[in-house]
Amino acid sequence: MNIKINHIAKMEGHAGFMASVLDGDVKSAKLQVQEGIRLIEGVLIGREYQDMPLIAQRICGICPVVHNLASIKALENAMGVSVTYETERLRMLLGYAQFIHSHALHLFFLSLADFLDMDSDIELVNKYPEEAKKAIKLREYGMEIVKVVGGRVVHPLTNEVGGFKKSPDREALKEILNKSEDILRTALELGDFFRNIKIPDFSRETEYVSLDKKGEYAVYDGDIISNFGLHISVDKFEANFLELQKQNEIIKRVEHAGRSYMIGAIARVNNNRVKLRANASEYLKSLGWNFPDYNPFHNILAQMVEVIHSIEESRRILLELLNSDLEEVVTRAYTVREGLGVSAVEAPRGTLYYHVDVDAKGYVKNVNIITPTAQFLSNLEDDVAEYIPKILKLKDSEKEKKLRAFIRAYDPCISCAVH
Amino acid sequence: MVIKNKPEAKKTKLKKVAAIKAKPKVEKKPVVSKAKIKTAEAAANGKPRVAIISLTSCEGCQFVLLDLGTRFLELTEQIELVDFRLIEDSEDDGGMLDIVLVEGNPVTKENEKTLLEARKRARTLVALGNCAAMGGIPEMKNYHEGVSTIKHVYKYLQGISNPEIREIDNFVKVDFVFPGCPINGEEFLTYIPELLKGNIPIIPDQPVCVECKKAGNRCLLLDKKPCFGPMVLGGCGATCPSSRAQCQGCRGLRPTGNVGAMRAMLKNLMSDEQFQNMTEIFGLRDDLEERERRDRLTKR
Repeated sequence: MNIKINHIAKMEGHAGFMASVLDGDVKSAKLQVQEGIRLIEGVLIGREYQDMPLIAQRICGICPVVHNLASIKALENAMGVSVTYETERLRMLLGYAQFIHSHALHLFFLSLADFLDMDSDIELVNKYPEEAKKAIKLREYGMEIVKVVGGRVVHPLTNEVGGFKKSPDREALKEILNKSEDILRTALELGDFFRNIKIPDFSRETEYVSLDKKGEYAVYDGDIISNFGLHISVDKFEANFLELQKQNEIIKRVEHAGRSYMIGAIARVNNNRVKLRANASEYLKSLGWNFPDYNPFHNILAQMVEVIHSIEESRRILLELLNSDLEEVVTRAYTVREGLGVSAVEAPRGTLYYHVDVDAKGYVKNVNIITPTAQFLSNLEDDVAEYIPKILKLKDSEKEKKLRAFIRAYDPCISCAVH
Repeated sequence: MVIKNKPEAKKTKLKKVAAIKAKPKVEKKPVVSKAKIKTAEAAANGKPRVAIISLTSCEGCQFVLLDLGTRFLELTEQIELVDFRLIEDSEDDGGMLDIVLVEGNPVTKENEKTLLEARKRARTLVALGNCAAMGGIPEMKNYHEGVSTIKHVYKYLQGISNPEIREIDNFVKVDFVFPGCPINGEEFLTYIPELLKGNIPIIPDQPVCVECKKAGNRCLLLDKKPCFGPMVLGGCGATCPSSRAQCQGCRGLRPTGNVGAMRAMLKNLMSDEQFQNMTEIFGLRDDLEERERRDRLTKR
């Protein structure tokens, strides 16, 4: 028997799904990518380094911020450019804002309808207008931060090698800070709503990989760790993880120790939950999970945890920045130098890696970009293969619905994965 | 492609492509009968039927729409949203459309088919953003190693669709363009009511500088930063220069911009190579070359 889904909507990019089942055994379960190639890494080669962040961030319209952050950090590492403390904090603020608006979109508008048995968001919004307003309000808070700091929500403009082209407007930052308490309340209310959603029961042990930093819930930098005891620095990523292209596939998959692994909100919450801020930590406890928690559907709730944490974190950073000289973030002079740089940041969907090689004149010699979806694709398929036998008895249309829900809970971004 | 009426540009581009690809498939103005349009309007119970489709892209322009939040939801109440896969799972009914908004590049065969189908069904076809209109980031490869760029990225090439990138007006007739990378949400809300009425709006021919000055920005050119503002079509709210980032022309050339004068002025600020590189990012280079050729001919 074959299970085929032509196109899975409500997801970034285009993909379908195909599984073949023989006598109750799943022979194969594969996401079928329908995205074209854009060869972003290829077009970067030979270009001036300044072009890289603005081209690379166009890999993705939902998470351009993290591509921007990771490419700039990789370039700075390659050329030995250091930035001020204020610049780093402002970049972190961008990262948290990206979490808030991307997660709010996914957990409400892309995934929620699946658990309430609806096909369209228009239907969802009509049935739950109050919750929809709350989700939009959270999203707008995240977007507002990106707009004020980055100059624009989709494909921000100000961040560059060495700092920011322009410091953010102090009054605008104050306004955001003033809103933040109300926003936190809204997030907690939406969190209550999500706590009561019926989530399917499914569990499969896997390796959770994420960044780790002493004393904080790592988002902007740190070492690479896993729940299986891995602990390496970011520059050892390529030596420990294998990126490979299979024939006839345009997403390059990534394996660790010959196996699939999981990243993203569910992995981070599992690995770093003790470092969550108070409200996020309390909310997580209220969910009553036993750790390690291996239910991939819980990714949505883990995103809710991260939304709450990111709002708390954004408040701290805003307070700190408003008590400092914002002009400190403005780009300082630096020397263009030959070198090789790597970087990793936590994107909404998991750890994003950049590797860049720059020549003495600042031209890009080589680039490698490893996106979250490329990393968790095999894990998704391994999960689905184990999930299918549990839903085999359902009607075809029901089966298809369950699979769509499963795949969407992962929050895959096919545009990122193919780039 | 900037706005309509650029038959010459199309011809050249096709020649360029023809040299690489033997048979460029160009759809000539598909004729939509009036009867069919009527069906489209009737089926929607008075509400115009709209589809938003995405070819290969970052989907950023769709997100600009979604990011309008409640204002976008209000718009969806006035229309019948036949296809918007970003927010709905329901199958497209395949009927006629009043407007189809197309984002991205036709890269795969499937993309090409989707685009041609969309044209057949739509009264008005609108390019949504820089990739659809001007080729965008993916077109950069055309200017350098072309289809060979793939060798930097993939080991196994078999089965991967890797065409030279061509703007959607090489495949179908485009009635209107929302320019920009990404599009501007406010501008979208300005023109969409006209489009829904069945009219084709015209974006005023003024440079980015008009809005830039209005925003009170110090001119980047005065600071010796090469900015394409004067030759580029305004309407974006001068978002980039307001963030101290140069205009790189993602909205395309103004119909009457003086490209020659601009080029001469920028010679003091950047080398020819730097100029050319910057024009490649948003697919401006082929349009610029075409314009320069046309200007030379007119002079003679």
